[in-house]
Amino acid sequence: MKCKRRITAVAVALLLLCGSAWAQDTIKIGVVGPRTGPAAATGAAFEEGIKLATEYVNSKGGVMGKKLEIVFEDTAGAPDKAASGFERLVTRDKVVMVLGESHSSSALAEIEVANRMKIPFIVVEAWADEITSKNYRYVFRAGPSNSGVVSKTIAKWVVHEKFKRAFIVAENTDWGIGIGKLTENAIAKAGVPSESMITERNSQDHYVELTKIKAFKPDVVLAYIYGVGLHYFVAQAGETGVSSKAVTLDGAGPPSLWPDYWKNVGDYGDLECFVSSMHEKVELTDLAKHYREAYTKAFGKAPTDYKSRSIFDGILIAADAVSRAKATDADKLVDALEKTNLKTTRGMAKFSLEKGGAEYHQWEPPMLVIQWQNKQQVVLYPPEAATGKIKH
Amino acid sequence: MLAISVMNGLVIGVIYALAALGVSLVVGIMNVVNFAHGELYILAGYFSYLFASALGMNFIAAMLIALALVFLLGIVIEVTLIRPTYGNDMYSLILTFILSIVLQNAYLLIFGPYPNKPPLWVKGAADVFGLFLYGNQRLAALIAGVAVIAVVFFIIKKTWFGRIIRATSQDREMAELNGVDTTRLNMLSFGLGCALAAAAGVILTPVFPVTPTAGVPVALTAFVVVVLGGMGSMWGCVVGGLLLGLVENLGAAFISTGYKNVFGFIILILVLLIRPSGLFGRAKV
Repeated sequence: MKCKRRITAVAVALLLLCGSAWAQDTIKIGVVGPRTGPAAATGAAFEEGIKLATEYVNSKGGVMGKKLEIVFEDTAGAPDKAASGFERLVTRDKVVMVLGESHSSSALAEIEVANRMKIPFIVVEAWADEITSKNYRYVFRAGPSNSGVVSKTIAKWVVHEKFKRAFIVAENTDWGIGIGKLTENAIAKAGVPSESMITERNSQDHYVELTKIKAFKPDVVLAYIYGVGLHYFVAQAGETGVSSKAVTLDGAGPPSLWPDYWKNVGDYGDLECFVSSMHEKVELTDLAKHYREAYTKAFGKAPTDYKSRSIFDGILIAADAVSRAKATDADKLVDALEKTNLKTTRGMAKFSLEKGGAEYHQWEPPMLVIQWQNKQQVVLYPPEAATGKIKH
Repeated sequence: MLAISVMNGLVIGVIYALAALGVSLVVGIMNVVNFAHGELYILAGYFSYLFASALGMNFIAAMLIALALVFLLGIVIEVTLIRPTYGNDMYSLILTFILSIVLQNAYLLIFGPYPNKPPLWVKGAADVFGLFLYGNQRLAALIAGVAVIAVVFFIIKKTWFGRIIRATSQDREMAELNGVDTTRLNMLSFGLGCALAAAAGVILTPVFPVTPTAGVPVALTAFVVVVLGGMGSMWGCVVGGLLLGLVENLGAAFISTGYKNVFGFIILILVLLIRPSGLFGRAKV
């Protein structure tokens, strides 16, 4: 009996030793994002991007001669869970770097942990300016920022389409309030009169908001509402007669591309506009083409939610930094990230080193404004990428 | 603005009342707070989506099957999870809380994170007295909600079964002494409470698509309405639901849309300060 126990103990010890040896054969990078909660669809998009990026990096020899391993931690879109999830990745999983996130409120909690624990963190899809404007050494963003999207895309599009009156409706989150305010200022500067309103993030019913919007008689409604709330808003804008008078822009993008968009909004979804960094006819690099082909092959459908491609780029940037740093030391990784000059699906990724504002450690990929026309995506803006003209 | 706010407040209020009736029934008779109430609402929504959209069934048949299935599930939950906890309210509270988390994750696994809904019963919008446009599906939901509430009131107030329910909720021991099988009554009441959550779910899902976690605010609102109206009071549910719907909509229209959910809680606090047992609740002696 004693002999049996000893053999079992030795076997367990050997297994543990092998386990740790295997663990050393990989470089671990953490991903944070909502796999549950109201924006769990983003988690699904992240999972797709993680799979493709891991396969891509490992097919090219991995990182520092080792396989890349991604550990995905669910944040549920809640700042408290996000902060503890980030900490778990560092302490439990011993990741060398963390990337991801799509909720600004969660990202704002995570950057504090990253800064305290001195772990490089690349935000890919949380847009609040405060994420980079705090100028934390360990925090980067390889994705859109509120000020970038507004100044480079949305405000310019409003002027380009010669809209005369705009209504801005924003959810009461860090992202919504921030981007709503920036839009208000930017289009006021451009001379377009506007009115703004904050709406409850979890509200299913927008009739009162839409009645106020209708009374203002806008010709464009800039809606900063994320998740299923956007579907409610578009459907109810149709019912209340708002969308027959004004074009609605989904200022986030992915909810207008979710698989059940048309089922949930019906015919009211046609002529809706949305921002996106992805369109099949606007591929900026050969890597974007590779991504589209690999995605279609792996999942049997064309990619729609651009956030799957954003995390793909984020992982490539992280892997590239580790490879160039030839170390997993946080400060060496930050130095390597600051020298990033990498071709991604959305162009050359390069972080700004200009301190003092939201530009610090920020790479702003280009965004498009797209309109649904007879269930087909037509690029409206920027003009050099346009595939058609706006329809009212 | 006033007209559409009142109209919308009434529609949303009826739906709140319907969702809260099930909670109230179970609390009144069994003294059990079902934390999974919202998830059963969502389950009915998923069922009606599955039968009507995926299997192409008639929407009324899809709704009735969804109701029946959730009723049966409610009975199974009562027999397996709730019944062994009688005598300790905290156990049933914890169990239903765990059940709600399990169901949320199961929905995520089975139906995915994207919102789902069955086809609309009626499309388009109606011009209400030339004042505003209002979604036809919402009007249909209002009529269906009022009809279900009327049926529940009829069952509780006018039938033999309803009399037993009322007697048991007033004095369980006395009801038992008069031959009421309270164990079976608990089972049926819990099933009925779940079926009421399901009724709200199938009526509302065409308007508000369901997601795995969409049941959380539904349950929260139902609890607020039950406390506002008074624990176990059916009229309390109706008045509480309508009051909450109207306050939220009028508050959003004339004060701020950003604090829509806060107005409900302010009213709840005010009512509880004046009447701690709720609008129609009986004060404990």
